[in-house]
Parts: sequence; C-alpha cells; structure tokens
Amino acid sequence: MAGQATLLVTDDLRRSRLTVFFRLLLALPHIVWLILWTIAAVLAAIASWVATLVAGQPPETLHRFLSAFTRYSVQIAAYLFMAANPYPGFTGEPGYPVEAELPERGRQARWKTALRAVLALPAVLVTAAIGSGAIGGGGGRSGEADWGFALSSGGLVAVCGFLGWFAALALGRMPNGLRDLAAYGIGYTAQTYSYLLLLTDRYPNADPEKVGPAWSLPPHAIGLEVDDDGTRSRLTVFFRFLLALPHFVWLSLWSVAAILAAFVNGIHALIRGRSARPLHRFLVAYVRYSAHVTAFVTLVGGRFPGFTGEPGYPVDVTTPDLERQSRWVTFFRGILVLPAFLVSGGYAGALFVVGFLGWLAALVTGRMPTGLQTLGVVSVRYLAQTNAYWLIVTDVYPYASPALRPPADEPELEVEPELDPELDGPEHDRPELDRGVTG
Amino acid sequence: MLAAWSLWQTRVPDGLRLPQLETDGLFRPTELERAESYARFLRLDFLASQLVLLVVLALYAWRGARFTRESAAGRIGTGMLLGMIGLALVWLSQVPFRLAETWWDRRYDQTDAGYLETLFANWFALGAEFLFICLALLIVMALAGRWQRRWWIAAAPFFVGLVALFSFIAPYLSPTESADAALRADNRRFADAQGTEPPRISVEDVSEFTDAPNAYAAGFGPTRRVVLWSTLLDGRFSDDEVELVLAHEVAHHSRNHILEGLAWYALFALPGAWLIAVATCRRGGMRSPAAVPLSLFVLVGLQLASSPLQNAISRHQEEEADWVALQTTRDPGAAKQLFEKFTTLALSDPDPPAWSEQLLGSHPSVLERIEFAEAWRTRSR
Repeated sequence: MAGQATLLVTDDLRRSRLTVFFRLLLALPHIVWLILWTIAAVLAAIASWVATLVAGQPPETLHRFLSAFTRYSVQIAAYLFMAANPYPGFTGEPGYPVEAELPERGRQARWKTALRAVLALPAVLVTAAIGSGAIGGGGGRSGEADWGFALSSGGLVAVCGFLGWFAALALGRMPNGLRDLAAYGIGYTAQTYSYLLLLTDRYPNADPEKVGPAWSLPPHAIGLEVDDDGTRSRLTVFFRFLLALPHFVWLSLWSVAAILAAFVNGIHALIRGRSARPLHRFLVAYVRYSAHVTAFVTLVGGRFPGFTGEPGYPVDVTTPDLERQSRWVTFFRGILVLPAFLVSGGYAGALFVVGFLGWLAALVTGRMPTGLQTLGVVSVRYLAQTNAYWLIVTDVYPYASPALRPPADEPELEVEPELDPELDGPEHDRPELDRGVTG
Repeated sequence: MLAAWSLWQTRVPDGLRLPQLETDGLFRPTELERAESYARFLRLDFLASQLVLLVVLALYAWRGARFTRESAAGRIGTGMLLGMIGLALVWLSQVPFRLAETWWDRRYDQTDAGYLETLFANWFALGAEFLFICLALLIVMALAGRWQRRWWIAAAPFFVGLVALFSFIAPYLSPTESADAALRADNRRFADAQGTEPPRISVEDVSEFTDAPNAYAAGFGPTRRVVLWSTLLDGRFSDDEVELVLAHEVAHHSRNHILEGLAWYALFALPGAWLIAVATCRRGGMRSPAAVPLSLFVLVGLQLASSPLQNAISRHQEEEADWVALQTTRDPGAAKQLFEKFTTLALSDPDPPAWSEQLLGSHPSVLERIEFAEAWRTRSR
C-alpha cells in the first residue's frame, strides 16, 4: 500500500504588497497552464486507472507525471490564495514554501482502483467545503478532476484567500491562522487528488494533523475540550435531526435573548471596560450551549446535550472568567467581526458536510470517523470563538487555524490563573486560558 | 359520572327505532365484495401494526433505560431524549404497515401517493410530535420533581389546557383555501338554521395524496372552522350531498362537539395520569428518566384499551351531527346517496364486524347511517 500525501509548510508569512495587489492577474498564466495541464492529467489518470487495474500499480511515468501535476496545482493554489509568497514555477518541481509531499509508487488494491471514482465522492464533498477552487484547474465538463473545481469554488480556502488579500496588503504579512487554514484546505485537496489520480490508495484524512505540519495553537480565551470516543448509537444517529428539534427551538429563543443581552453588555463594556458579570455568565452559557447543540447535530458529539449550557458535555467549550476588554475593540466589534463571520460561514459549510457524511458513516459503522470528527471539532471551536467575540464575552479575535494543540515546547496550562473578581487593577495581563483541543 | 351522563345527552330522540336494512339490498354484489375486501386487509394491517407497536414499546419499556447513556443532559433533558427515542421506535415499527397500506390503497385506486412519499411526506408532522412529547415530558418531569408521586394531580389540568390550546389553534395548522360563494352562503344558512354563529369555511387540497372524500370541523370560539377536502368537490358528489356534509360539520359546531370532546378528555386525563404514575412507581416515578419508556408503554396501552370507549363517544357525536344535518337539510335521500358513495367510491365497509366497529369505528357504519336517515324520514312524515 502506498503512503499518504502530506503538506510541508516553510512559508514565513511575509508577503510582497505589490505582488499581493496583483495576485490574481499574476496568476493568470498559471491558471491557463493549469487548465491545459488538467486536460492532460485527466487523460493520464484514465490511462493510469486502466494500467493499475491490470498491473496492480500505476506505471512509473504516469505516476511521475501526475505527481508533478498535483504538486504544481498545490503551488498554484498556495500562491493564489495567499498561503505562500514566491511566484511558482511551471513544472511542479519541489522546493516551494507550501509543498505537497507525495507518496512513492506502490501497489494498490484492485477493487479500490476499480471503484475509485465512487469511493472518492465523500472526499470530493469535503474538498468542496474546505478545499480550493484552483486545484485541478477546470474548464472542461468531464473527468474526475473537474468535480473538485466545480464544487469547491466557495470553500474555506477561497475565504482565506479573500481575507488574506486585504490583510497582506495592509500588513505586508499573512495572518498565521488564515495561512494555516488555507494550507490545511490545500493539503486536504492534495490528498483527494492523490487518491483520485491513483498516486495512492490511502483515503484522504480530514484530521488537520494528518494533512500537514503540526499547526500550533496559540493561547485563546475560548478553547474546546473533547472527551468523546467516537462511538454512536445508530438509532440516535438516524433520528439525529428530529432529536435536535427541541434544542433548535430552545436555541432560537435563547438566541433572541442573547442578542439583546449582548447589546446591553456592549454598552456596559464601553462604559466600564468589562462585561457585566450576570450578562457575562448568561452569554458564556449561551456560547457553550450553542457549541453543544452544533456538535450534537453534526455528530461531532455523541450524547444528547442538556438545555442549560452547563459544562460537562463531551465536546465542551472552555470559557474565560470576566476579563477587561478594549473599549476600541468593543466599539468597533460589529465591523471587526465581519471577517470572522466569513470564516465562520466557511466552517459552517464544512460542518454541514461533516454532519452529512458522518451521519452516513455512523449509521453504517456505529462510529464517527476520526478525521471528520476532528474537522468538526475545529469548526465548532471557531464558531464558538466567533460567538464569544461578537457577543462581547471576550475581545480575543477568533483564531482560524485548524491547529489542535499548543506548540510542543509550550506546556499546556492545567489551571486557570486566578483573576481579581472585581478587576479593579489598572492593567490586566490577558489570562492564558486555552487548553487546546484534546482529540 | 354526572358529568359523563350530561355529556352523553344528544338531540337524537330517545328510543329511536332504526329499520333493519340489508347491505344486499343497497349495493351490488361486486361493490360489496370490493369494499369488504379492501377493508378486510386494512383491518388485518391495523391489528398487526398495533400488536407490533405494543411489542416494541414493551421491549423499550424493558430495555429502553439504557439509552440514558446517550445523554449528557440533566434529568428532564434525558427524559425528553428517551421520549423522542420511543417515538422514533414507534415510527420505525410502523413503517412496514404504512407501506403495506399504501400498496393496498394504490391497488384499489384510493391514492396516487408513492412509497417514498408515504415514508417521508409526514416528517414535518413527526417533528411536531417530537416537540410535543418534549413539552409533555418537560411538564410531567418538572411537576414530578416538585410533587414526587402526586404529579398527576397537577399534570392533568396542564394537559387539558394544552389540548384546549391545540384544539383552538388546530384550524391554522393545515393550509386551506377559502370556499366559493355558494358554499359560504350554504354555511351561513345552515348555521342560522342550527342557531349558531356561522363558522369559517375553507377547502383543503388533498388531491395529491388521496381520492377519499372527507370534511371536518375544528377549533372553537373565534377559531371555529369547517374544512372540506377538495376530493369532496371534484364532481363525484352532487350539490345536495355536499350540502349534507356541510350541515353535518356545522352541526359539530352548533352542538359544541369540540368542547364536549375536551370535556371528555378532561374526565379521562386525571385517572389516566394517575395510572401512569402508579405504573412507573417502581422505576422511580416520572421524576426519573428511566421511567419514561415504561410510561410510553402504559400510555399507548391505555389509549388502545380505551379506544372502544373513545370510539363510542365519537360515534355518538357523529350520530347527533347526522341527525341535526337531516333536520337542517330535510333531505334523507341525499344522505342515503352520500353514504352509499362512501362504500362505492371510498370503499368503506358498509357493515364491518363488531370488534372492528369497537376498535376502529369513530363513525357509525355506512349501513347504520343509511338506517339512521331512513329512521329520520319515517319519523318526520
């Protein structure tokens, strides 16, 4: 069995404002070239499919050609969507800052080869949600490679590229979280293409740690703790949406109250520089409850959640105690949150796919696939962070990266630092509350 | 008992003697055979479905508490989950019978609905049931948390109030269109004749799902409404027959049958809730989520056991509505034709077995209704 495609990232986040501004125009020759190359790659993939069916492994020449194509498409996507800065070459040679490390040629199971196009459908769906439109080019109307293009034009990577363009233009560097998220989407797409183009018979894995490097998770006021073994009752899976109906009703009612509370809380935070304690408690419970319901509906969490947003659900949000918040950030919160809403939309799309595919898989196997669940966990965390941000629970901006844990050399925090309950001091260091995700 | 006696009183004259008619004299042999054959299968389907339902719920009552491990919610939330899972199992257990019924209906040209449509068309209603059971369990378990074993005393008024609320808003739950001017005029005329305010009248388009004719009265007070199915107005029934149906439905309002039904429910709610409380005692009572599966079994068992009584009450009201409709239209000939068409068109068995009448008969049989019309004709001469 061949190995899995993975992503190497050596990008230093710095961006040239000039090339950022003209990025799409600069990429045009590559896009044209990629379209031509895609046509050849589709024909090569068909030839490789026949040969692999007969011989049990793809021919060396075709494997090399399709590897180069996949590597090239990763480079173009990375360039187009701001995950990397240098202008890529046209031959798919290794050495780019965002690079697909592709498996060596190896034997592949014939039945997997025969059914490849069908088996790949779930991965193509996930790619559509988190992948990039550029990969695979696309302009033709047939062939496996085009599905990804057709389905992924609005994926998370595109959102990262759009937001990253503004950020890089303003700052001269790409925000780390957005870069990591874009790289993750590109990496997953590379896995899907490796699978579709018969470079490997290893199925794409949506687990961020299986896609790319060890993305690092910086401290954040809102984290997620997971204590779920992935087993699911088929009965509750089958009726999951109906079982969630009372939660939908309750969440809708609670949302109305939360919006009103956030408005009052915002005024309080503007005047006093921090949330009002009762409103903070109320909104924290709402953020937690919303995450519980989202996790339950999308099968990221297995058990039926409670209605009060109490801690203890297997996919649970860690929330901050009352903390001082910047008045400037509070005042402009409604505008500042817009990019986070965009990314949230992308993550919500990913969650929809996670829920749909997870539903099918759990119905058959009684388990939630780990990769999908992890993608779901990352998505739920981001949605919770966005909720907490716009509801004035915290002024820490949502972190878009699919990272699961803090960097290895930074020990996880076990105990929350004690806070002065009245927060009377002139300055407060931001407490490092995030304990990351435990998978 | 006094209340029950009072509710049982109707305008149908005491000691009304019905003529003894024979189905052979009313229908052709082929019509009879077709209607009987159609109804026979549906009766068997019903019996089998109820048997399976009881077995499934009994098993769920026995082993269902294990689903508590699927919940991270508190006491009441877990109870809701178990209630919904119970409903889910009931739905699953009835799938084969619904499919069989659709197959049979299609075979006898009673519906054009497909099998997938049969399975999935009512998911909205299923969702509403899920929400309703959550609300019911929220009330019961909250009350049981407060008053332990005496929850049923407080719960009964709650549920009467809830049923009253649903009866009140029921006319707004189905999409309908307003009836034409002629029907509206008839509606006003019949309401005047029966000494009541005219209810609103509307038409529900059911042609996509069934060919069976039907009409119903819903709501009370300001929400009173008569709804005619579009299948009643598709040309198969004469104006006189439609008028009789309309007069019958207006009679349900003029005789306050909806409120009477509520009163009957109120009479049964207290002992019913008490029986559930007693039955679930050994499972920790309704305070405990583990008692929910058993309570569902008891509830469905009680409903099944009391269905002969419920049907008797319903038939009694239908008889009165028939009588008042005849008094209003004074057209027993149209009544006879209408009821005959229930057999020839809707394949209603004119003279079903007694046990079927008890378990399934919410209306008098076709033969009884024709006899009733004849009795009215004789008496009015």
